[in-house]
Amino acid sequence: MRLDICYRTKLAFDAPVRESQNELRACPVTDERQQLLSYRVTVEPSARLLSFTDYWGTRVDHFGVTESHADLEVVAEASVETQDPPAHSAAPAMESLGDPDFLNDHDEFLKPTRHTDWDEAMARQARELAAADGSNVVGAVTELNEFVGGRLAYEPGATEIGEPITEVLAKGAGVCQDYAHLGVALCRSIGIPARYVSGYLFSSNERTGSIGGGLVRVQTHAWFEAAVPELGWLALDPTNRLAVGHQHVKIGHGRDYDDVPPLRGVYSGPGAPELDASVEIRRMDPSRQPTSLMQPSLLASVKAPRTREQQQQQQQ
Amino acid sequence: MNAGNSIGPDPPSFFDEAVDERGRTRDHYRPVQEWFDRLSLDQVKALEEQRNESFRRQGITFTVYGGDEGTERTWPMDLFPRIIDAEEWAMLERGLIQRVTALNRFLDDIYTGEQAILRDGIVPRRLITSCTGFEREAMNVAVPLGARCLVAGIDLVRDADGGYRVLEDNLRNPSGISYVIENRAAMTKLLPAAFSDLAVRSVDHYGRSLLRALRSIAPPACGDDPTVAVLTPGIFNSAYFEHAFLARSMGVELVEGRDLVVDDHVVAMRTTRGLERVDVIYRRIDDHFLDPVVFNAQSTLGVPGLLAAARAGTVSVANSVGNGVGDDKAVYAYVPEMIRYYLDEEPVIPNADTYLLWEEDQRAEVLERLDQLVVKPVAESGGYGIVIGPKATDAELAEARSKILDDPRNWIAQEVVNLSRLPAWAGDQFAPRHIDLRPFVLCGEQVEVIPGGLTRVALREGSLIVNSSQGGGSKDTWVLGNSEQPASGEQR
Repeated sequence: MRLDICYRTKLAFDAPVRESQNELRACPVTDERQQLLSYRVTVEPSARLLSFTDYWGTRVDHFGVTESHADLEVVAEASVETQDPPAHSAAPAMESLGDPDFLNDHDEFLKPTRHTDWDEAMARQARELAAADGSNVVGAVTELNEFVGGRLAYEPGATEIGEPITEVLAKGAGVCQDYAHLGVALCRSIGIPARYVSGYLFSSNERTGSIGGGLVRVQTHAWFEAAVPELGWLALDPTNRLAVGHQHVKIGHGRDYDDVPPLRGVYSGPGAPELDASVEIRRMDPSRQPTSLMQPSLLASVKAPRTREQQQQQQQ
Repeated sequence: MNAGNSIGPDPPSFFDEAVDERGRTRDHYRPVQEWFDRLSLDQVKALEEQRNESFRRQGITFTVYGGDEGTERTWPMDLFPRIIDAEEWAMLERGLIQRVTALNRFLDDIYTGEQAILRDGIVPRRLITSCTGFEREAMNVAVPLGARCLVAGIDLVRDADGGYRVLEDNLRNPSGISYVIENRAAMTKLLPAAFSDLAVRSVDHYGRSLLRALRSIAPPACGDDPTVAVLTPGIFNSAYFEHAFLARSMGVELVEGRDLVVDDHVVAMRTTRGLERVDVIYRRIDDHFLDPVVFNAQSTLGVPGLLAAARAGTVSVANSVGNGVGDDKAVYAYVPEMIRYYLDEEPVIPNADTYLLWEEDQRAEVLERLDQLVVKPVAESGGYGIVIGPKATDAELAEARSKILDDPRNWIAQEVVNLSRLPAWAGDQFAPRHIDLRPFVLCGEQVEVIPGGLTRVALREGSLIVNSSQGGGSKDTWVLGNSEQPASGEQR
């Protein structure tokens, strides 16, 4: 499916700020399932872009605005061709996860992180769910994905980025980032390497609304991937309780949200920003309409108050 | 005064630097030993007083965090110098250059290379990806000459046979060089006569050597006269004295994060003349505080956009971001393999015998023998968190055991190295105390070792902890030149 994506974020400050420095991760990645056809970033006030690929393989556009400004707008336009992942019949046993080479290659996707720190109760739950489906890795991941989709109610504003996954569970509600983090945490808790994915979803529903003509106005999306021995990375969307397919456009992955935030940055000055973020996706082959799926909200990281920490510098 | 080398009935399980097995003063210590032997108690006390007064007046202090008393202390330099003869130093110099060269090759392989050492299975990939000092944000940030570790401090000890061992590498922000230089300045004032007849190699060219190394990694586009600055966390940092000292001795600006601004991926410092472009930054701020865009967003110490500027190649930052992957104590265990892999050489200076606690069989052995071993957290420095088995209480051992089981990757164990001994002033006499040595290695166009380094001494009797933050002192360290080498005496 050919999709044109327009990502737009506007920060309106209530007082002018200076020396803003930012990183944008909004560019669809090229991998086995999708191909980037074009990509363009524009920033207002205009700024020079430094574009590079980070450790995780995600394209980053870095820019700074030194002079005083009250508004900052970032627009990223991408064209991408997507497909469904190839069908597979892999069902490796859970024991295959213990292979030393597999462990060596996936170590960083097995550890808890700030957003994926599970507790013993979660691990126990994950073990029971995994056991229910014949103790093979694909079955276990699918069960966990289903569980997450059923366990959380989709509720924009219920959580904030950075909320511990145990608290999200207690609330029983969240947005796609929370679903993805919970899926990642449950997988890792039983030794299945998993990573957080940031991306776009071509869908419309009552929350986001179709603008018509194959155009949807949405937010960025998040899902997760689990490493399956012999198969590779299996992508699942717990928010919508389905496998990732041609309507999913991947930006990149990481250990959790912090490795692949759409926009992060700092600035100087007392102004506080009001954030207006949106994504428009237009299907360039109009024969099929977008499916109706849930969309999450985007929360760009913004600067918190500054503190002093000179003493914390470690002396060697 | 008797220099108090104890050759008692106890088995000589320690190597004594100044005397041989038969109690005779070693040749290279003889002139100094004789000089000290002639001093009266009152003369020593007078020298001590003079030294304290001098350090106090110059504000040469250091800070201990978490202590009960006032945290700012006068620098404790012991009067009796450590002496290394020319031949021994030549061996150490060779070993240090070899080690730091291999470590730089490793760091460059990991961050900008093909990770060949992981691909070839010499170092396990998960050792790197599980390393807290592995900074993914620094991936593919190139450094001219591959000089990722521009200043290294390598901690050496001598075992019971007098053999040198590397105890740990410090590749991030090793501190202490200012004390090396101040110790020498103090000693030449206090004991000028002790230097007579000895060709002691100079250390006071350090500022020039550091500046040369820093300029050698300037971005090629910046021309013949790169601007260098020292970036400090500020006056509340324990090593601020050293940061100011180094900026002064290089004749460059000492700046804090707020003095620098990044515009279009170019770093400039705010001066009274307006903005001035900076080409090389010797930063003494930890990675996680260096750039709030990619690290701790709340930090005010760093420079927003600095890492992107380094990535753009408009500024060089020393030491590089992410060097912690090279001085993690579990990675340390692989340094001899790195030397073989990258240089095709055998290590000149061996490691101390080390156990990796994430390896099940090694862990089992260590837990059996916990009371005989030293246990260290992999990413700490300054002696924090170390448990010395033979001196630990049962409760301390139990705590260490549970910490190891909780997170085995975070710990290593080493055989106790019975640090060598040298006389130190113990209030009313000279008595043997344990010492180590931190030589400083500079890597720019050439790799250079500053003769000697910081000898640290455990001032408490029997103690093996030499860190100044843990009640250790220091000694001036004399490397004897052979006849062709310039001696500091000639330069004064």
